[in-house]
Amino acid sequence: MSDPVAHQGPAASGTPAPAENVEYRVAHLHDRLAAEELGELGVRAEIRAGAIVLTGTVPSAQCRETVLRVAHEELAGLTVHTDVVVAETAGPDHAEEL
Amino acid sequence: MVRVAAVGDIHMGPDSQGLLRPAFETLPDCADLLLLAGDLTRHGTPEEARVVAQEVRGLPVPVVAVLGNHDHHDEQPEKVTALLRDAGVRVLEGEGTVVECAGTRVGIAGTKGFGGGFVGRSAGEFGEPIMKEFVRTTRRSADSLHAALKELDDEGCAARVALTHFSPVADTLAGEPPEIHPFLGSYLLAEAIDTAGADLAVHGHAHLGSEHGMTAGGVRVRNVAQPVIRRAFNVYRLGTG
Repeated sequence: MSDPVAHQGPAASGTPAPAENVEYRVAHLHDRLAAEELGELGVRAEIRAGAIVLTGTVPSAQCRETVLRVAHEELAGLTVHTDVVVAETAGPDHAEEL
Repeated sequence: MVRVAAVGDIHMGPDSQGLLRPAFETLPDCADLLLLAGDLTRHGTPEEARVVAQEVRGLPVPVVAVLGNHDHHDEQPEKVTALLRDAGVRVLEGEGTVVECAGTRVGIAGTKGFGGGFVGRSAGEFGEPIMKEFVRTTRRSADSLHAALKELDDEGCAARVALTHFSPVADTLAGEPPEIHPFLGSYLLAEAIDTAGADLAVHGHAHLGSEHGMTAGGVRVRNVAQPVIRRAFNVYRLGTG
Protein backbone atom coordinates (compact mmCIF):
# COMPACT_ATOMS: atom_id res chain seq x y z
CA MET A 1 0.00 0.00 0.00
CA SER A 2 0.84 3.61 -0.24
CA ASP A 3 3.51 5.44 1.64
CA PRO A 4 2.59 8.13 4.14
CA VAL A 5 0.78 11.01 2.54
CA ALA A 6 1.25 14.72 2.88
CA HIS A 7 -1.12 16.07 5.45
CA GLN A 8 -3.73 18.56 4.53
CA GLY A 9 -5.73 21.17 6.32
CA PRO A 10 -4.98 24.50 7.87
CA ALA A 11 -2.73 24.86 10.86
CA ALA A 12 -4.49 25.55 14.14
CA SER A 13 -4.95 29.19 14.95
CA GLY A 14 -2.27 30.83 17.02
CA THR A 15 1.16 29.33 17.43
CA PRO A 16 0.90 26.07 19.34
CA ALA A 17 3.96 24.48 20.86
CA PRO A 18 5.46 21.98 18.40
CA ALA A 19 4.46 18.97 20.50
CA GLU A 20 0.84 20.15 20.46
CA ASN A 21 0.62 20.89 16.77
CA VAL A 22 -2.20 18.74 15.39
CA GLU A 23 -0.48 18.12 12.07
CA TYR A 24 2.54 16.61 13.79
CA ARG A 25 0.31 14.51 16.03
CA VAL A 26 -1.39 13.14 12.92
CA ALA A 27 2.03 12.41 11.42
CA HIS A 28 3.02 10.55 14.58
CA LEU A 29 -0.19 8.51 14.37
CA HIS A 30 0.74 7.44 10.83
CA ASP A 31 4.20 6.50 12.08
CA ARG A 32 2.79 4.37 14.90
CA LEU A 33 0.28 2.59 12.68
CA ALA A 34 3.09 1.64 10.29
CA ALA A 35 5.66 0.76 12.94
CA GLU A 36 3.67 -1.23 15.48
CA GLU A 37 1.91 -4.58 15.23
CA LEU A 38 -0.33 -3.63 12.33
CA GLY A 39 2.21 -2.52 9.71
CA GLU A 40 -0.70 -0.43 8.53
CA LEU A 41 -0.03 2.08 5.73
CA GLY A 42 -3.55 2.10 4.33
CA VAL A 43 -5.33 4.21 6.92
CA ARG A 44 -5.46 7.93 6.26
CA ALA A 45 -5.91 10.50 8.98
CA GLU A 46 -6.85 13.98 7.86
CA ILE A 47 -7.82 17.16 9.62
CA ARG A 48 -11.35 18.29 8.81
CA ALA A 49 -13.24 21.04 10.60
CA GLY A 50 -11.05 20.75 13.66
CA ALA A 51 -11.50 16.99 13.97
CA ILE A 52 -9.42 14.08 12.73
CA VAL A 53 -11.10 11.80 10.18
CA LEU A 54 -9.75 8.26 9.81
CA THR A 55 -10.50 6.39 6.58
CA GLY A 56 -9.31 3.16 5.03
CA THR A 57 -9.83 -0.58 4.75
CA VAL A 58 -8.10 -2.98 7.15
CA PRO A 59 -7.80 -6.77 6.85
CA SER A 60 -9.63 -7.87 10.00
CA ALA A 61 -11.96 -6.72 12.78
CA GLN A 62 -9.07 -7.06 15.24
CA CYS A 63 -6.95 -4.73 13.10
CA ARG A 64 -9.77 -2.19 13.12
CA GLU A 65 -9.96 -2.29 16.92
CA THR A 66 -6.21 -1.79 17.14
CA VAL A 67 -6.30 1.16 14.73
CA LEU A 68 -9.01 2.84 16.76
CA ARG A 69 -7.21 2.20 20.06
CA VAL A 70 -3.92 3.62 18.77
CA ALA A 71 -5.69 6.61 17.22
CA HIS A 72 -7.47 7.48 20.45
CA GLU A 73 -4.21 7.16 22.38
CA GLU A 74 -2.22 9.26 19.95
CA LEU A 75 -4.95 11.87 19.44
CA ALA A 76 -6.17 12.06 23.04
CA GLY A 77 -8.16 15.22 23.63
CA LEU A 78 -9.06 15.64 19.95
CA THR A 79 -12.30 14.73 18.23
CA VAL A 80 -11.78 11.61 16.08
CA HIS A 81 -14.26 10.46 13.44
CA THR A 82 -13.68 6.91 12.18
CA ASP A 83 -14.68 5.57 8.81
CA VAL A 84 -12.40 2.53 8.82
CA VAL A 85 -13.93 -0.62 7.36
CA VAL A 86 -12.93 -4.27 7.31
CA ALA A 87 -12.07 -5.86 3.95
CA GLU A 88 -14.85 -7.92 2.44
CA THR A 89 -14.13 -11.61 1.92
CA ALA A 90 -17.02 -12.90 -0.20
CA GLY A 91 -16.34 -14.23 -3.68
CA PRO A 92 -17.45 -12.34 -6.79
CA ASP A 93 -20.92 -12.86 -8.23
CA HIS A 94 -19.77 -12.41 -11.83
CA ALA A 95 -16.66 -12.28 -14.00
CA GLU A 96 -15.46 -9.47 -16.26
CA GLU A 97 -15.20 -10.35 -19.95
CA LEU A 98 -12.03 -8.96 -21.53
CA MET B 1 -11.24 -18.76 -22.88
CA VAL B 2 -9.16 -18.52 -19.72
CA ARG B 3 -10.63 -17.47 -16.40
CA VAL B 4 -8.12 -15.57 -14.28
CA ALA B 5 -8.91 -14.96 -10.60
CA ALA B 6 -6.81 -12.33 -8.86
CA VAL B 7 -6.45 -10.48 -5.58
CA GLY B 8 -3.68 -8.53 -3.88
CA ASP B 9 -3.03 -6.82 -0.57
CA ILE B 10 -4.72 -9.45 1.58
CA HIS B 11 -2.33 -8.51 4.43
CA MET B 12 -2.79 -11.68 6.42
CA GLY B 13 -1.79 -12.08 10.04
CA PRO B 14 -2.52 -14.58 12.79
CA ASP B 15 -6.03 -13.18 13.25
CA SER B 16 -6.99 -13.66 9.59
CA GLN B 17 -6.52 -17.40 9.16
CA GLY B 18 -9.57 -18.82 7.42
CA LEU B 19 -11.14 -15.51 6.35
CA LEU B 20 -10.49 -16.08 2.63
CA ARG B 21 -10.47 -19.87 2.46
CA PRO B 22 -14.25 -20.26 2.03
CA ALA B 23 -14.19 -18.03 -1.05
CA PHE B 24 -11.01 -19.68 -2.35
CA GLU B 25 -12.74 -23.07 -2.09
CA THR B 26 -15.18 -21.89 -4.79
CA LEU B 27 -12.38 -21.15 -7.29
CA PRO B 28 -12.71 -24.36 -9.33
CA ASP B 29 -16.27 -23.30 -10.21
CA CYS B 30 -15.32 -19.90 -11.59
CA ALA B 31 -11.59 -19.73 -12.42
CA ASP B 32 -8.70 -21.66 -13.94
CA LEU B 33 -5.97 -20.08 -11.82
CA LEU B 34 -5.48 -17.64 -8.94
CA LEU B 35 -3.04 -14.73 -9.05
CA LEU B 36 -1.83 -13.09 -5.81
CA ALA B 37 -0.55 -9.57 -6.46
CA GLY B 38 1.70 -9.09 -3.43
CA ASP B 39 1.35 -7.69 0.09
CA LEU B 40 0.12 -11.06 1.20
CA THR B 41 1.37 -10.35 4.74
CA ARG B 42 1.60 -7.30 7.03
CA HIS B 43 5.32 -7.38 7.89
CA GLY B 44 6.71 -10.24 5.83
CA THR B 45 7.39 -12.44 8.86
CA PRO B 46 7.54 -16.24 8.55
CA GLU B 47 4.62 -16.45 11.00
CA GLU B 48 2.43 -14.36 8.69
CA ALA B 49 3.66 -16.20 5.59
CA ARG B 50 2.56 -19.49 7.18
CA VAL B 51 -0.96 -18.06 7.52
CA VAL B 52 -1.00 -17.24 3.80
CA ALA B 53 0.46 -20.64 2.91
CA GLN B 54 -2.20 -22.41 4.93
CA GLU B 55 -4.93 -20.29 3.32
CA VAL B 56 -4.03 -21.45 -0.20
CA ARG B 57 -2.50 -24.89 0.43
CA GLY B 58 -4.05 -27.66 -1.62
CA LEU B 59 -6.37 -25.44 -3.68
CA PRO B 60 -7.47 -27.28 -6.82
CA VAL B 61 -6.37 -24.43 -9.14
CA PRO B 62 -2.77 -23.28 -9.70
CA VAL B 63 -1.76 -20.31 -7.51
CA VAL B 64 0.80 -17.82 -8.84
CA ALA B 65 2.12 -14.96 -6.70
CA VAL B 66 4.51 -12.04 -6.49
CA LEU B 67 5.59 -10.48 -3.22
CA GLY B 68 4.85 -6.87 -2.23
CA ASN B 69 6.68 -4.26 -0.19
CA HIS B 70 5.05 -5.46 3.04
CA ASP B 71 6.34 -8.98 2.33
CA HIS B 72 9.87 -7.49 2.34
CA HIS B 73 9.56 -5.48 5.56
CA ASP B 74 11.03 -8.17 7.82
CA GLU B 75 13.87 -8.56 5.29
CA GLN B 76 13.23 -12.27 4.83
CA PRO B 77 11.64 -12.42 1.36
CA GLU B 78 13.48 -15.67 0.61
CA LYS B 79 11.89 -17.29 3.67
CA VAL B 80 8.43 -15.96 2.75
CA THR B 81 8.94 -17.28 -0.78
CA ALA B 82 10.06 -20.70 0.48
CA LEU B 83 7.07 -21.05 2.79
CA LEU B 84 4.65 -20.18 -0.02
CA ARG B 85 6.39 -22.52 -2.47
CA ASP B 86 6.16 -25.30 0.10
CA ALA B 87 2.38 -24.79 -0.02
CA GLY B 88 2.41 -25.16 -3.81
CA VAL B 89 2.40 -21.48 -4.76
CA ARG B 90 4.47 -20.47 -7.78
CA VAL B 91 6.20 -17.33 -6.49
CA LEU B 92 7.65 -15.22 -9.31
CA GLU B 93 10.34 -12.53 -9.23
CA GLY B 94 11.55 -11.57 -12.66
CA GLU B 95 10.46 -14.83 -14.23
CA GLY B 96 7.53 -16.55 -15.89
CA THR B 97 5.53 -19.71 -15.48
CA VAL B 98 3.12 -21.56 -17.75
CA VAL B 99 -0.25 -22.84 -16.57
CA GLU B 100 -2.17 -25.37 -18.65
CA CYS B 101 -5.88 -24.50 -18.69
CA ALA B 102 -8.00 -27.06 -20.52
CA GLY B 103 -5.34 -27.51 -23.18
CA THR B 104 -4.51 -23.81 -23.42
CA ARG B 105 -1.10 -22.56 -22.35
CA VAL B 106 -1.35 -19.42 -20.23
CA GLY B 107 1.85 -17.59 -19.36
CA ILE B 108 2.26 -15.49 -16.23
CA ALA B 109 5.25 -13.14 -15.95
CA GLY B 110 5.75 -11.73 -12.47
CA THR B 111 7.83 -9.22 -10.57
CA LYS B 112 7.21 -7.04 -7.55
CA GLY B 113 8.09 -3.88 -9.44
CA PHE B 114 8.94 -0.65 -7.67
CA GLY B 115 8.28 3.10 -7.78
CA GLY B 116 9.52 6.08 -9.71
CA GLY B 117 6.35 7.55 -11.13
CA PHE B 118 4.89 8.20 -14.52
CA VAL B 119 5.98 9.97 -17.68
CA GLY B 120 6.62 13.67 -17.15
CA ARG B 121 6.44 13.33 -13.37
CA SER B 122 8.95 10.59 -12.68
CA ALA B 123 12.17 10.15 -10.79
CA GLY B 124 15.32 10.08 -12.89
CA GLU B 125 18.47 8.01 -12.70
CA PHE B 126 20.51 11.05 -11.72
CA GLY B 127 22.33 12.60 -8.79
CA GLU B 128 22.95 10.91 -5.48
CA PRO B 129 23.76 7.18 -5.50
CA ILE B 130 20.64 6.35 -3.48
CA MET B 131 18.46 8.17 -6.03
CA LYS B 132 20.08 6.36 -8.92
CA GLU B 133 19.69 3.04 -7.13
CA PHE B 134 16.00 3.77 -6.55
CA VAL B 135 15.34 4.14 -10.27
CA ARG B 136 17.70 1.31 -11.24
CA THR B 137 15.78 -1.03 -8.92
CA THR B 138 12.63 -0.33 -10.90
CA ARG B 139 14.45 -0.59 -14.21
CA ARG B 140 15.88 -4.01 -13.33
CA SER B 141 12.42 -5.19 -12.35
CA ALA B 142 10.91 -3.88 -15.59
CA ASP B 143 13.69 -5.47 -17.66
CA SER B 144 13.06 -8.83 -16.00
CA LEU B 145 9.33 -8.50 -16.69
CA HIS B 146 10.05 -7.76 -20.35
CA ALA B 147 12.35 -10.77 -20.67
CA ALA B 148 9.86 -13.08 -18.97
CA LEU B 149 6.99 -11.95 -21.21
CA LYS B 150 9.11 -12.45 -24.33
CA GLU B 151 10.09 -15.91 -23.19
CA LEU B 152 6.44 -16.84 -22.64
CA ASP B 153 5.69 -15.65 -26.17
CA ASP B 154 8.52 -17.81 -27.52
CA GLU B 155 7.02 -20.75 -25.63
CA GLY B 156 3.78 -20.35 -27.57
CA CYS B 157 1.45 -19.21 -24.81
CA ALA B 158 -2.04 -18.43 -26.08
CA ALA B 159 -2.48 -15.75 -23.41
CA ARG B 160 0.02 -13.83 -21.30
CA VAL B 161 -0.55 -11.95 -18.05
CA ALA B 162 1.86 -9.51 -16.38
CA LEU B 163 1.62 -9.79 -12.59
CA THR B 164 3.16 -7.04 -10.42
CA HIS B 165 2.60 -5.48 -7.03
CA PHE B 166 3.43 -1.89 -8.00
CA SER B 167 1.32 -0.28 -10.71
CA PRO B 168 2.42 0.09 -14.33
CA VAL B 169 -0.01 2.97 -14.96
CA ALA B 170 -1.47 6.00 -13.20
CA ASP B 171 -5.03 5.14 -14.33
CA THR B 172 -5.54 2.61 -11.55
CA LEU B 173 -4.19 5.00 -8.91
CA ALA B 174 -7.20 7.31 -9.28
CA GLY B 175 -8.26 8.05 -5.70
CA GLU B 176 -4.72 8.13 -4.33
CA PRO B 177 -3.10 11.54 -3.67
CA PRO B 178 -1.16 12.42 -6.84
CA GLU B 179 1.79 13.49 -4.68
CA ILE B 180 2.52 9.86 -3.80
CA HIS B 181 2.18 8.34 -7.29
CA PRO B 182 5.97 7.97 -7.57
CA PHE B 183 5.79 5.59 -4.58
CA LEU B 184 3.00 3.55 -6.14
CA GLY B 185 4.37 2.53 -9.52
CA SER B 186 6.38 3.28 -12.61
CA TYR B 187 5.83 3.73 -16.31
CA LEU B 188 8.88 1.50 -16.85
CA LEU B 189 6.67 -1.49 -16.00
CA ALA B 190 4.08 -0.42 -18.59
CA GLU B 191 6.77 0.15 -21.21
CA ALA B 192 8.04 -3.40 -20.61
CA ILE B 193 4.50 -4.78 -20.90
CA ASP B 194 3.76 -2.85 -24.09
CA THR B 195 7.07 -3.72 -25.70
CA ALA B 196 6.94 -7.44 -24.95
CA GLY B 197 3.15 -7.76 -25.28
CA ALA B 198 0.55 -9.06 -22.84
CA ASP B 199 -3.21 -9.66 -22.72
CA LEU B 200 -3.70 -8.36 -19.18
CA ALA B 201 -1.69 -6.63 -16.46
CA VAL B 202 -2.67 -7.20 -12.83
CA HIS B 203 -1.31 -5.30 -9.83
CA GLY B 204 -2.12 -4.27 -6.26
CA HIS B 205 -0.51 -1.81 -3.81
CA ALA B 206 -2.87 1.15 -4.30
CA HIS B 207 -5.64 0.59 -1.72
CA LEU B 208 -7.32 3.88 -2.56
CA GLY B 209 -6.98 3.48 -6.31
CA SER B 210 -9.47 2.16 -8.85
CA GLU B 211 -9.80 -1.15 -10.64
CA HIS B 212 -9.67 -0.31 -14.34
CA GLY B 213 -6.89 1.12 -16.46
CA MET B 214 -4.95 0.66 -19.67
CA THR B 215 -1.36 1.06 -20.76
CA ALA B 216 -0.36 3.51 -23.49
CA GLY B 217 -0.07 0.48 -25.76
CA GLY B 218 -3.63 -0.69 -25.06
CA VAL B 219 -3.09 -3.51 -22.56
CA ARG B 220 -5.85 -3.73 -19.97
CA VAL B 221 -4.67 -3.09 -16.40
CA ARG B 222 -6.57 -4.20 -13.29
CA ASN B 223 -5.80 -3.08 -9.73
CA VAL B 224 -6.92 -6.04 -7.63
CA ALA B 225 -5.98 -4.70 -4.19
CA GLN B 226 -8.61 -6.22 -1.90
CA PRO B 227 -9.76 -2.81 -0.57
CA VAL B 228 -10.38 -1.77 -4.20
CA ILE B 229 -12.25 -4.81 -5.48
CA ARG B 230 -14.02 -5.32 -2.13
CA ARG B 231 -14.10 -9.08 -2.58
CA ALA B 232 -11.94 -12.13 -1.89
CA PHE B 233 -10.91 -12.01 -5.58
CA ASN B 234 -12.14 -10.90 -8.98
CA VAL B 235 -12.34 -13.00 -12.13
CA TYR B 236 -11.32 -11.87 -15.62
CA ARG B 237 -12.16 -13.96 -18.68
CA LEU B 238 -9.57 -13.74 -21.42
CA GLY B 239 -10.34 -14.83 -24.97
CA THR B 240 -7.58 -17.00 -26.41
CA GLY B 241 -8.88 -17.29 -29.94
